[in-house]
Amino acid sequence: MKTKILLDEEEIPKRWYNVAADLITPLDPPLNPQTGKVIDPKDLEMIFPRELIRQEMSTERWIDIPDEVREILKLWRPTPLFRAHRLEEHLKTPARIYYKYEGVSPAGSHKPNTAVAQAYFNMKAGIERIATETGAGQWGSALSMATSFFGLECRVYMVRASFDQKPYRKSIMQVWGAECVASPSELTNSGRAILKEHPNTGGSLGIAISEAVEDAATHDNTNYALGSVLNHVLLHQTVEGQELKKQMATVDDYPDVIYGCVGGGSNFPGMCFPFVPDKLKDKKEIKMVACEPAACPTLTKGLYTYDFGDTARLTPLLKMYTLGHDFIPPSIHAGGLRYHGDAPLLCNLVHDGVIEAMSFHQNEVFKAAVTFARTEGILPAPESSHAIKPAIDDAIACKKTGEEKTIVISLSGHGHFDLSSYDAYFSGNLVDYEYPEELVKQSLAKIPKF
Amino acid sequence: MGFLVNPIAGMGGAVGLKGTDGLVEEALARGAVAVAPRRAEAALAGLVGLDVLFLTAAGDMGEASLRRYGLRCRVVHRPSGTSTAEDTREVCRCFIEEGVDLIVFSGGDGTARDVAGVVGSRVPIIGIPAGVKMHSGVFAVSPQAAGELIRGYLEGNLQTRETEILDVDEEKYRAGTLDTKIYGVAAVPYQPVLVQERKQIYAASSEEDFKEEIAAFASEFMQDGSAYILGAGTTTAKIAELLGVEKTLLGVDLVKDGRVICRDASESDLLREIEAVGRTKIVVSPIGAQGFILGRGSQQISPQVLRKAGPENLIIVATPHKLKETPRLMVETGDPELDEIISGRRQVICGYRIAQRKEVVATSKVGTDGESP
Repeated sequence: MKTKILLDEEEIPKRWYNVAADLITPLDPPLNPQTGKVIDPKDLEMIFPRELIRQEMSTERWIDIPDEVREILKLWRPTPLFRAHRLEEHLKTPARIYYKYEGVSPAGSHKPNTAVAQAYFNMKAGIERIATETGAGQWGSALSMATSFFGLECRVYMVRASFDQKPYRKSIMQVWGAECVASPSELTNSGRAILKEHPNTGGSLGIAISEAVEDAATHDNTNYALGSVLNHVLLHQTVEGQELKKQMATVDDYPDVIYGCVGGGSNFPGMCFPFVPDKLKDKKEIKMVACEPAACPTLTKGLYTYDFGDTARLTPLLKMYTLGHDFIPPSIHAGGLRYHGDAPLLCNLVHDGVIEAMSFHQNEVFKAAVTFARTEGILPAPESSHAIKPAIDDAIACKKTGEEKTIVISLSGHGHFDLSSYDAYFSGNLVDYEYPEELVKQSLAKIPKF
Repeated sequence: MGFLVNPIAGMGGAVGLKGTDGLVEEALARGAVAVAPRRAEAALAGLVGLDVLFLTAAGDMGEASLRRYGLRCRVVHRPSGTSTAEDTREVCRCFIEEGVDLIVFSGGDGTARDVAGVVGSRVPIIGIPAGVKMHSGVFAVSPQAAGELIRGYLEGNLQTRETEILDVDEEKYRAGTLDTKIYGVAAVPYQPVLVQERKQIYAASSEEDFKEEIAAFASEFMQDGSAYILGAGTTTAKIAELLGVEKTLLGVDLVKDGRVICRDASESDLLREIEAVGRTKIVVSPIGAQGFILGRGSQQISPQVLRKAGPENLIIVATPHKLKETPRLMVETGDPELDEIISGRRQVICGYRIAQRKEVVATSKVGTDGESP
């Protein structure tokens, strides 16, 4: 019995799959918050290259991956699909558990899949420099690596609180030639304005976005890049699911269920979107479950409506499940899952019942992560562990039913930068935050909508 | 800094008297020994070398302990004979007149009550735990911790917050009834734990900020047309403040549509009002050092009141700071069946639109499985 199911380099997908072509309900377009009208693609040209805007708006089913991008993806792709024999034995389950591991990328997560593509299209458009923000540091690291491959400069505005807490993130970005600055910084008007009033602030993702966007808008040679939420980002991640499908076929198996964690939604859609046509057209019985933290349960408890993508209200209005752009999720240890909204494509499919969602408390998630590490060896990222938790529960349930279910975990990254979170778990210091849904509904009932 | 020891505090405990109020002779006859000076000295041990002038009372009310550690002190009061509660109050009045920056006492709930009765929240207070009962929030977890708090505060590293002063009616307690009342509010220094390093513009780390967040959220969800019973305490007081209604800090009030419909309500007031207004919800916050949500300080919210409003309409609010300090919350309504319903892993509102899951334990359950409260 195989443990690692590997593909040859030549089998890296040659096209990205665009789920926009196969939706039940067409995607609601982004709106200009000033006019309430559909965004004009020209409005985006100040900060994005044309090809990425074209991909963002496209409803073509397949979009070619440039050879230059595939060459770089070869450094870690195709990523391995593992059969979790040891976890299965430990659980004594009749279920078959697989996990597709994106932690083998140099940056340690799935983020480089889109970082490389975005850096490439910017380079082709004559852009010399990219500005971005990063919260926990995963995205900033991935983009730093990608820009170094294409000889672009990169500046990463990293939320001050994370910058101070995770100094090695800055180090790794520096190794890849990027400049990582704590946000708010003295380098932008928005940063200076905040610092003048609040010199000791820990910063916020909202401010970091403002700084990166301002940087891109005020430098002719500079564009902005985002690591999640947008359609083109999800598109680039679909190499994952396409590989997964081929790998499953080589062992003559097919997922009954795929679990993946969702923060803004890029890894999980990348893994499961290629299976959407199977379900809708071929009527395959496959469950796709988005796993989110109870502290920030966007898909399970949010409203499906137009909202801003950021706290600072700089982005276009996006139709998505949202907890409100002013909702500040508590500081759970899966920093990458703390986002008030989710990718519009993913939300559309959840709303139409194609994809399901579940939420979990962080202590139970860490417990599952430790079980996984002790059986399979890999130390999972706290974010990815949100997908391990229900997979284990599911496998245990199979013991009762005797079902030989095929369970796939999308394991988006390793947790080597998250050991302080594991320490907090072992010392009993993890707080189980949650979203008081009923009381929030009660408060929203009386609050005027913007 | 003001420093005083209630030399008789804690003597009744070891000899089974559940407190020492009015029973010093009895305690001595039963062989009790003074514990408060020894505990005070354990705190002072951590202060040696600190450049501070201690104001204190003569003899075993403080002076003796300070001299044992060679700490610089000046006596502001001399008790005549065995020290009494009046001596404690007099010493505190002297402290206030002299303009001390901090008052430290060694004693129990009774002493805390005497000190806070004079000082209020004008000057921060730290209690060195030495009594039989220590329900008030002014006590450090140990004498050593008190020493660290004192040092931290004098070095300017700490913030202060308000906490409730509780005491038990000892005579009733000896007769088997636990009747805890809130007697006032005091300011205490605390170590600002970085509870949440939120992705927020202005790191909200002070407890006051979180009380405001909770109050902001509550003032939103309380506009649903229900009546709300607001329990005692400083967190619920903040909710009332934001709603613009006057709250009885030490009592229970009934609020509906932003107006107080019954101030400082008794149990029978509450029962009557619930009958009259219909849908009623109850907002409580953990009180005192042990984190009681019901059964201490808010006896008006009786089992009958809870049953009439419906236990599912109980909303618990608490700052992350408080939740971090108390490993679990406690409930003791006097009705074990109701305690059972209320206990378990419950939602506690801890900020604006955010909650935690926290263990609520019925005291009737504590002890049966070898645990201590």
